[in-house]
Amino acid sequence: MTALLTLNNVCKSFMRGGILSRHRIEAVKNVSFTIENNRPEIFAIIGESGSGKTTLARMILGMQEVSGGTLSLEGNRVGGRTRKERLAFMAKVQPIFQNPFEAFNPLKKIDYYLLLTAMRFGGSADLSEAEAAADVALRQVGLSLSEVRGRFPHEMSGGQLQRVAIARALVSKPRLIIADEPVSMVDASLRMAIVNLFGELRDKLGLSIIYITHDLATAYYIADRLIIMQKGEVVEAGAARAVLSDPQHPYSKQLRDAVLSPQVTGSPSIK
Amino acid sequence: MKRIIFDLLKYNSEFRIGVFLILIVMCMAGLSFFSPYPPNDVFVVPPDAPPSADYWLGTTSRGQDVFWQLSIAIRNTLAFGLLVALLSRVISIVVGLSSGYLGGWVDRVLMAINDTFIVIPLFPILILFYFVLRDSMSTILLAVIMSSLGWAYDSRLIRSVAMSLKTREFTGTSVFSGMTIFEILRREHLPYVLPIIFSTTLNNMNWSIGLEVTLAVLGFMDINTPTIGGMIYWANQHTAIVAGIWWWITFPVLTVVATFVGLYLIAVSINEYIDPRSRLSRMGGGQS
Amino acid sequence: MTPQPILRVEHLKAHFRSSYFGVYREVPAVDDISFDVAPNEIFGLAGESSSGKTTLMKTIAGLIAPPLELIGGKAQFSFMPPETNLFGADPAQLAKIRWSKLSYIMQGSMNVLNPLRQIRFIFRDFAAVHIGGSRSDFETKTVNHLSRLRLDPSVLDAYPHELSGGMRQRVTIALATICRPDFIIADEPTTALDVIVQKEVLGMIRSIQREIGSSVLFVTHDMGVHAALTDKLGIMYAGCLVEAGPTADIFNAPQHPYTRHLIHSLPRIGDTVQRTGLTGTPPNLANPPSGCRFHPRCPLASDICRTERPKMRQIATEHRVACHAVAGDQA
Repeated sequence: MTALLTLNNVCKSFMRGGILSRHRIEAVKNVSFTIENNRPEIFAIIGESGSGKTTLARMILGMQEVSGGTLSLEGNRVGGRTRKERLAFMAKVQPIFQNPFEAFNPLKKIDYYLLLTAMRFGGSADLSEAEAAADVALRQVGLSLSEVRGRFPHEMSGGQLQRVAIARALVSKPRLIIADEPVSMVDASLRMAIVNLFGELRDKLGLSIIYITHDLATAYYIADRLIIMQKGEVVEAGAARAVLSDPQHPYSKQLRDAVLSPQVTGSPSIK
Repeated sequence: MKRIIFDLLKYNSEFRIGVFLILIVMCMAGLSFFSPYPPNDVFVVPPDAPPSADYWLGTTSRGQDVFWQLSIAIRNTLAFGLLVALLSRVISIVVGLSSGYLGGWVDRVLMAINDTFIVIPLFPILILFYFVLRDSMSTILLAVIMSSLGWAYDSRLIRSVAMSLKTREFTGTSVFSGMTIFEILRREHLPYVLPIIFSTTLNNMNWSIGLEVTLAVLGFMDINTPTIGGMIYWANQHTAIVAGIWWWITFPVLTVVATFVGLYLIAVSINEYIDPRSRLSRMGGGQS
Repeated sequence: MTPQPILRVEHLKAHFRSSYFGVYREVPAVDDISFDVAPNEIFGLAGESSSGKTTLMKTIAGLIAPPLELIGGKAQFSFMPPETNLFGADPAQLAKIRWSKLSYIMQGSMNVLNPLRQIRFIFRDFAAVHIGGSRSDFETKTVNHLSRLRLDPSVLDAYPHELSGGMRQRVTIALATICRPDFIIADEPTTALDVIVQKEVLGMIRSIQREIGSSVLFVTHDMGVHAALTDKLGIMYAGCLVEAGPTADIFNAPQHPYTRHLIHSLPRIGDTVQRTGLTGTPPNLANPPSGCRFHPRCPLASDICRTERPKMRQIATEHRVACHAVAGDQA
């Protein structure tokens, strides 16, 4: 079994402060995990603000350098030095961002990004091939090019936009998708459709997805494995449902107990 | 474009007044091509004649027709302002956008240079240039000097916008759509700094015309190219006010004031129109 | 017999009206909404983005500024003279009421707390006028109040930026409750907080509310928060109130198809039932659907839903629904 993504004691520290009062902030400390190549899964990274989960995501995406440890995709260093290496890397790893309303330039038509991705990564030689590739990707998320063509971001709902963002990521036929809080800005009534879509992509396309979230309920619902991070460190890791049903680390327990379930029982949590 | 101008004319009275003023000034400049007298010739008409049917705006003590002299002067002055504005815009856009987007040491180096230009006292430097260059000082050369001194404020402004654009998620989408840095700056970020660029272009024209007039009035300029400042310089040399040749001073001043006010009003109204928030609102998006 | 409500909202309508270079837009963000808030209860207002919940809150609080315009109806507080909205009321009267009778807890605590002033002075700025007495009396009262909220008196010497997000939000709650107001308007006060801190802050709101007996209008999109905190709940959709009633009733027996879907779509830990998202697109408020605004996405939609807007009907004590498909008495 070959590894798709390997993190080995990955660390990230920032220097903060002025010339005289510089101090080091450890954003990510010794994080290690592996995602296998032929076992597609949804891997959740759970943490609160300041846990380092977004820094970790940016490092996996090659948007930030690691300051310690190794981070490799199919044996190669992530990111890439030359533009050619970077393009080859980005074809394999694609991001999905938190705010679907911000994911596309509000002044641009959204099909532009899909077609561009198809031309740059999808190997489409001309516009008609790019359109076909974009349409295939849009159909994988339950839309079609004719629904999207010529529309501006503000003409679509958050749920639709997040689908288009996922479709754009799929155009390059990636092996891995990094989704940083992909549903926290999506309305609750549309949220589950997106979360279910991740499950479908895993099952039908064999994609692995790193799902970064603070929402334990959706992680329990969709993730296969998870790690829980606190202040840059992994405090608990394992199979998602097992960990969330019976958390061991005190912080995980605390986190688990703080989840407000959308139900009113005899003895409410706060009343 | 036609539609934008039409909309602005219809709904914005500042824009209407500004366009009206600038049109008058531009007509004036355009008429210079039909001038019956070569601009640098003196004593082609009877000197010191007050405004009359023959000489609409009177004549100067140097025997030039004020009307035709003014038309060539405003043409040169406008061209000068435009040249300075365009050249300095190019510098400030390139420096501002790349400094804001690239960050790190590129940003530090560029901003160190930028801040140097901000703190340099402009006026003494310009006078210094005049004394060093003397006769080789031409309007074009002055335009190049002024544009290389007049970009720094605006590029800091553009940088601050570019820095916030860099952290917006659509920049990430663009990177992972395979865009090059140049494409990101040009296609994604430039539209957001356009409002700043437009208004600063017009303001920069105002600034450079103002400085040109000042330098010329004081004589620190190539006074043989007719410009508004040059006209006022000659009028002062001939003590036009004391001699009662008021039309020699009044009409150039009025023209340059009309230019200032016109450019300012257009800058203000266009800014309101191309502001992304207002743009989105007209497209039907965003919550007011 | 229900007691006299502290807030009575009747047929309240507020629209956004804007005109940019000839493009005129009118958005009915609050469209004919009526509900009551009784003394000593937490009334939750739930809704998704662009449902108009924030606009409704602003309209009630009298924070109406162009492009938002009050079209009709009223929001009557019992401590105000009859027939007056906060909007357009006498400024002198408002100054007396604000903070002593009516206070606010906002989402961005940094916007409330002046970053250049220590917490001690912020308390003095906001509340000293209403509480009166000498400066040392006021100081003692502040410290007592803080200890009631389990806040250390040392926070008084801190500047807002020195406190963590959760701590700041606790300070704003202390600030909003120190004058023991009759009514508190809370706009997404915990949305920006992490879950662990959120739970503590919610507990704090609950306990202080119980203690001083105020009513709270609590606006958030998070159904989990509503389930845990509120007594009554109103569900908004596209500028309309579609269902209102006791929180337990709404969660246990939601009537409106939208509410039903909203509650059933949320995943829970320890429960692996397949959840689905709502189909269709959220309504465009600038051009709302005819009849019932939910009908394009509603599984129960019939002809009447497309043409006629459903009225709020009473289906049980205090439980009202606006849906043609749900039987009930005319309210």
